[in-house]
Amino acid sequence: MTLQFRVLYREFLFRMVDLEMLAERADVARLLSQLAALLAALSFAISLSVLRYAFTRATPEALLISAWSDQHFLIATTMAVVGLFAVLSWDSAFPDRRDVLVLAPLPIRASTMFFAKIAALASALALTVVSVNSFTGLAFPLVFIPLGGGFFAGLRTLAAHWATLFAAGAFLFCSLLAIQGISAQLLSRRHFLRWSAFLQLAAFCIILCVYFLQPAIATPAGLSAERNQALLTWLPSYWFLGLFHALNGDLHPVHTLLAWRAVVGLAVAAGGASLAFLLSYFRTLRKAVEEPDILPGRRRASFRLPFGDSLRTAIVLFSLRTVLRSRQHRVILAGYLGVGSAIELAYLKSLIYGYAADPWWRVNIPLLVASVVMLCFSIVGVRAVFDLPIALRANWIFRVTAVHDAELYFRASWLALFAIACLPVLLATAATLAPIWPAAAVAGHLLLLGALASILVDLTLFGFRKIPFTCAYLPGKANIHVLAGAYIIVLTAITDGLVRGERRALGDPVSFAKFLAVLCIAAVWARRRTRIRAQGFDVQFDQAPPADLMTLELRRDGVLPG
Amino acid sequence: MLELRGVTKLFSAIAAVDHVSFQAAAGEVTGYLGPNGSGKSTTMKMITGLMEPTSGEILFNGEPVQRDLIGYKRRMGYVPEEPHLYLHLTGSEYLEMVSQLRGLPARAAATRIHGLLLLFGLHGDRHVAISSYSKGMRQKVLLSAALMHNPDLVLLDEPFSGLDVATGLVLRNLIEELASRGKTVLFSSHELETVERVCQRVVILHRGKIVADDSIANLRGLMALPTLEHIFTQLAVEQDTAAISREIADLIQS
Repeated sequence: MTLQFRVLYREFLFRMVDLEMLAERADVARLLSQLAALLAALSFAISLSVLRYAFTRATPEALLISAWSDQHFLIATTMAVVGLFAVLSWDSAFPDRRDVLVLAPLPIRASTMFFAKIAALASALALTVVSVNSFTGLAFPLVFIPLGGGFFAGLRTLAAHWATLFAAGAFLFCSLLAIQGISAQLLSRRHFLRWSAFLQLAAFCIILCVYFLQPAIATPAGLSAERNQALLTWLPSYWFLGLFHALNGDLHPVHTLLAWRAVVGLAVAAGGASLAFLLSYFRTLRKAVEEPDILPGRRRASFRLPFGDSLRTAIVLFSLRTVLRSRQHRVILAGYLGVGSAIELAYLKSLIYGYAADPWWRVNIPLLVASVVMLCFSIVGVRAVFDLPIALRANWIFRVTAVHDAELYFRASWLALFAIACLPVLLATAATLAPIWPAAAVAGHLLLLGALASILVDLTLFGFRKIPFTCAYLPGKANIHVLAGAYIIVLTAITDGLVRGERRALGDPVSFAKFLAVLCIAAVWARRRTRIRAQGFDVQFDQAPPADLMTLELRRDGVLPG
Repeated sequence: MLELRGVTKLFSAIAAVDHVSFQAAAGEVTGYLGPNGSGKSTTMKMITGLMEPTSGEILFNGEPVQRDLIGYKRRMGYVPEEPHLYLHLTGSEYLEMVSQLRGLPARAAATRIHGLLLLFGLHGDRHVAISSYSKGMRQKVLLSAALMHNPDLVLLDEPFSGLDVATGLVLRNLIEELASRGKTVLFSSHELETVERVCQRVVILHRGKIVADDSIANLRGLMALPTLEHIFTQLAVEQDTAAISREIADLIQS
């Protein structure tokens, strides 16, 4: 390997997940190892479930069904994680304008750049697949070793398992690369840059929806049933389940057909990605260089909406534009909304497959939960990104134009959070439920949702003394990684209880009035509490680090405080 | 009139600005000069209220600015040394946001923004994100944002940075025009020729301390030196610039 190749490979690999998107001045190697450790921890937790095969009294048929479902779960999870990684590294997958402008004046061959990029992509894919399967990849193949099979049968199962996982990951990764690369070839550079963000978002949504909503048919009967054949044509995770069985020596016609689809799908995806990559070196790089520095802009009249006085309008519009245009903030918010969507889809699955207690056209728990969960995650997500500054050094303009009382800035921040996080959820809920539910039930639900939104906005803004996106951020304050799971469980339990209460209240006007009154009182209390807390404080632009010394306020016995 | 009285700024017990006192009169352009690291931009940041002095006092029209900081900020326009802007906004959106933050009436703000964009030659690119702007275009946005509210005190820290020749000439005349209309202009720059043409008086800072505060004509006479560049070199430049240039050329040839 030449020195040039090694330097470029390292640079491309560490830039796969764009750090500007995740954290300012983050430590690349540390961040990637943290992500890998997180995936490995997930893998370890899942691998513990293999113990049930050792201590079960279930029949061999029941065990087989369970094992097939587990194998499908592992394949689908690997594909989902690889897909999300591909979405995260969307902008760094192909050489961009920065690469060209920095590297073109240097004496580097295009082929060196090309192979370094390919090697970086392959390494990133391999690392993702290995991380997410680090424990399960050793534990689960044990279940599939044929009875009486010796060491070599075990080795074959292990090899089949890993080959399937790599193939499934490569299929999804290459498919996304191919879609992105071919779009770049078909569209003009300007249109591609504009549509690329939508493609990225669409890929993110599709991956989540397919993962959470695909039917559980990973049984011998399910895979053979005539009614499922059309569905199986469109569900790649089942193709790779078939591939695993075929590689493991089970040549049942159903598996052979699915395995064939997997091989063809992988070949098409890999071919498409290779073609897109080759073309990108011949055409996209040239287009990127020839692109004018300033592209003509469009008039954005729709953004000139007034939100009260001029200060509120300025801060709401600034926040809205930041969320919509900053990739870093958008991706973090998408992460929160993704978790919300996952919980939402888990509830909606019962409605889609018809095993919910109520049909979709009646007031039902899944749809009520879906709107409440999305509201919660939207508020928490937007509030979280409010803390992350954009172009921190540009905040001087807010300082030199601070010609209003601080309280007015805090009110503007409240409105910004409500407008960005709550209004879209309320509008989407109204648009979804109005055509299918009685008007009174929809209006009632929206009223309750509005009151809940007000409470949550105040709770999350308690002690917030900043203008969104303008204050320095000290990372590492919260042990969110550890607590996130606990919060989600508690939130889901509370939401479930709240929604069941709401469902009862929507059928009885008196109960509804009481329910609404309680929420309104809570909203007024939360609003007052937040405003009292904000009084007397200035707008904060720098986050003070925790003091090096903390007094314990210990006193001698018998000495009164003060 | 802007007045600084014994203003000091310490960073970890090191004085970046050390007992600086001077006055900038209304209707005059005062040059504020010094080599890199002399404390010019720190002084500017203290005058704008971005940074608080460790000691000393800043007064505007005889009133300490801290007494009514909000009122003072309403009357001040500032062009910072570095063009730190919100790059995800368009030029038009940025100026609109600044006008809203300053509480300007919407109609008047729209008229002024439209006019400033036209006069600075940015109108055609007003809907383009600032991230696509050249350095000069960003500087024009900063100038527009600093002037749109008709400030009484104009603080310009390297305002010519990145500007083309034509816009540089416009700005030079504009600075003189603003002063002739009674505004207080404090102008910091490394372009000594421009300073010499535009400023009535100069304050020269070296290692955080004032080493000269007088009209340019007086300084020329007192020091018996022909140009501001000679005066500045004698007072604030410690290095043998010709020798350093030779050493650099020798190094890259070695």
